[in-house]
Amino acid sequence: MKRRRFKIIGAGVIVASALVFLMVAGVKNTSMRHFTPDALIAHAQEVDNKGIQVDGLISEDTTNWDPTKFQLTFAVRDRESKAEVNVLYANRIKPDNFKDGGNVFVQGKYNAAENLIVASKLQTKCASKYEAAEGATAQASGASERDY
Amino acid sequence: MAELGQAAIYLSVFSCLWAMAMLWIGLRHNNYNAVVSGRNGVVGTFALITLATGALIYGFVTNDFTMKYVVEVSSYDQPLLYKITALWGRMSGSLLFWLWLVTFFGALVVWTSQRATDYLADYALIPISIVQLFFIILVTGLVEGVYNPLERLPNGAVARDGAGMNPLLQTPSMAFHPPSLYVGFVSLTVPFAFAIGTLLSGKTGSEWIFRSRRWMMASWLVLTLGITLGGNWAYRELGWGGYWAWDPVENASFMPWLLGTAYLHSAMIQEKRNMLKLWNIILITLAFEFTLLGTFITRSGIVSSVHAFAQSDIGHYFLMFIGLSTLGVIALLAYRWNDLKSPNRLESLLSRESAFLLNNWMLVGLTLIILWGTLWPIITEGVTGAKVAVPESFFNQVVIIPGLLLLLLTGIGPITSWKKLTPSNFRRMFAKPIVLGLVGGILAWVYLALKGHTTAIYSVLCVFAGVFVLAAISGEFYRGARLRAKRQETTLFDGLIRLVQRNKRRYGGYIVHIGIVIVYIGILGSKGYFLLESKGLQLEESMEVGKYTLTLKNAFQEEHPNFSLGGVVLAVEKGGRSMGTMRPARAFYHKAGQGDQDTIESAIRHFGLNDLYIALGPLPENVPAHVQSGGIVSVQAYHNPLVNFVWLGVTVMVIGGLVAIFEKHPKGNV
Repeated sequence: MKRRRFKIIGAGVIVASALVFLMVAGVKNTSMRHFTPDALIAHAQEVDNKGIQVDGLISEDTTNWDPTKFQLTFAVRDRESKAEVNVLYANRIKPDNFKDGGNVFVQGKYNAAENLIVASKLQTKCASKYEAAEGATAQASGASERDY
Repeated sequence: MAELGQAAIYLSVFSCLWAMAMLWIGLRHNNYNAVVSGRNGVVGTFALITLATGALIYGFVTNDFTMKYVVEVSSYDQPLLYKITALWGRMSGSLLFWLWLVTFFGALVVWTSQRATDYLADYALIPISIVQLFFIILVTGLVEGVYNPLERLPNGAVARDGAGMNPLLQTPSMAFHPPSLYVGFVSLTVPFAFAIGTLLSGKTGSEWIFRSRRWMMASWLVLTLGITLGGNWAYRELGWGGYWAWDPVENASFMPWLLGTAYLHSAMIQEKRNMLKLWNIILITLAFEFTLLGTFITRSGIVSSVHAFAQSDIGHYFLMFIGLSTLGVIALLAYRWNDLKSPNRLESLLSRESAFLLNNWMLVGLTLIILWGTLWPIITEGVTGAKVAVPESFFNQVVIIPGLLLLLLTGIGPITSWKKLTPSNFRRMFAKPIVLGLVGGILAWVYLALKGHTTAIYSVLCVFAGVFVLAAISGEFYRGARLRAKRQETTLFDGLIRLVQRNKRRYGGYIVHIGIVIVYIGILGSKGYFLLESKGLQLEESMEVGKYTLTLKNAFQEEHPNFSLGGVVLAVEKGGRSMGTMRPARAFYHKAGQGDQDTIESAIRHFGLNDLYIALGPLPENVPAHVQSGGIVSVQAYHNPLVNFVWLGVTVMVIGGLVAIFEKHPKGNV
């Protein structure tokens, strides 16, 4: 009875440590720092040529879609400061809901000298639309809401 | 109407409290009348919340633009279906919908257990009422950060028109994806409540497991369906050629599913062998808490996600409720500790019990890994001050090995005997599936090597495991059917039907396992071997993706009631043979107050086992004029092998689940 219990606990420990190993190795291999544009510029040298993520807003009048090169360029700006980081997103089409002032999430490699992210992933959110709509009905109450 | 609805919400606070108090008093003092009064309180809460929900829907249907919520999510020209689905379009409404579901399930528990003495169901109504109270408080609008969905605009204001729902959400699968997720989440409350009921009552047998079996199966099924509909929607609407990206919101729905799956299996061990009593209560509690945790993760703005949720205080209330309810469960467990010891122990490491146990460890382990990855940005920010996140590739990497092991277990479990697997049993049951699996694996290896994928070790393992599982489960069906056919002197097919009818849960479960194999093959093909080509095309120019050649032939423009559709016609050829045309497009929406918006309308066609998936980059609205004048059209083409297997596999899973759910349990049903 005791030996069997021992075996089960042993098996459990092995499975658990294997899972922990997988997790730690996974984090080590893939993790990347996450910044606001402002913080990215402040820490530019630390993450030069490294994979990073940035959350910010699509800076107004910076978006350019070049159909010949099949690439999108724009700047992501900080929500609070004037900091801006350039983004190049190639060989992928512009995602839906990509609008000036809209929320954007960028993942890619950062080049500190050019202040440029070569993006591998780009995500937009549709918040801007609702902000405008709330303004239109003149009752933006500050209630936080979900837009999917 | 709106005022009536608001009043109903306030009144429901009292009916809910009344139900709790009466049930508790009645059950403690054996006062049947009080219990009945408590049950009526639960039904009363349901009636009141139904009234409130009805009032909101009435507001949508009658375009009552004095109501704040209606203005935000509906508009005059929104089709009726989407006016109604606007109920869960945003937070206030979705909380009301969530609440309505909890009250509905509470009433359903009352209606399905109207027996003179049904201590378990009556005790279960108490935790259900507590959950209801939490949601009622949120929708009253008395707490900061959420407003009452029935609130009117201030100062008697009337909006000319509503803002309307995002066009991306106005598709049929978006009408069904959120509610099926909610139904799946919320119905998990019932098995959880039965577990708490058993602790409250002190009768810690396995009755709660029998009683909540069907609930559990149903919520698992609906959750499966809800998650898949979300993936299917993303695939068809978002234009990035995929269906799953390990987004925090996706993870939030996947984690309760994993825990629910673990519970479905471990509950069987308690039924058959009276083991794991404590573990089952812990698992179902975790599954329930994770449905709330998912809401906390997605609504509090603590992690960034594609699903845009503005930052909100509501996450804190959820976190508080999660904390308090978990503490409550821990206290109850400590109180009943001595009753929760299982009389039986695992007899051998080589037994079906151990296979189930390993399945549980893997599923819970996976859940914890996914949780860790999802919360990693918060953990690192809290500990080091610098936010570090893990991308999609983290999840893709870490799930492979546990995922393959789980796949193997879907075949190992069914053919391993309870208590102890003997060597002769092993030879009889395992030999053929292993040999067939090896043959399948080697064939896959050769096939992939010929195609130039020489290091596809995981793919080969996945095919090996898949074939092994299919062989093991078909063997189970075949042996059982042959036995029945012999005994009843009938055909093998007839024997198969009888076999499934006699033991719906077991064989329904096996059908689910077959579905899982199909899903794995679909994921393997579509995640592992997709091709992506991007090119700017002018009229009569071509591009290649895989073996297919796409040529830009023409452009078109169509007017629809609330948008115009502009796109191109691409001729598809394979090896010089015409395969027809595809028409990817962009939809242009113009709506006052919202500005212009255009969305990708991908073209998807199945060619045999593969999908060709084409999305277009930004275009001016008059596409024909643009193309005729030599303009460039940005075409992004994906070649997605086997992606249909994902949808097919889930369909098989759902069919299997439906078979299993219809089994009547001799020891009582809900």
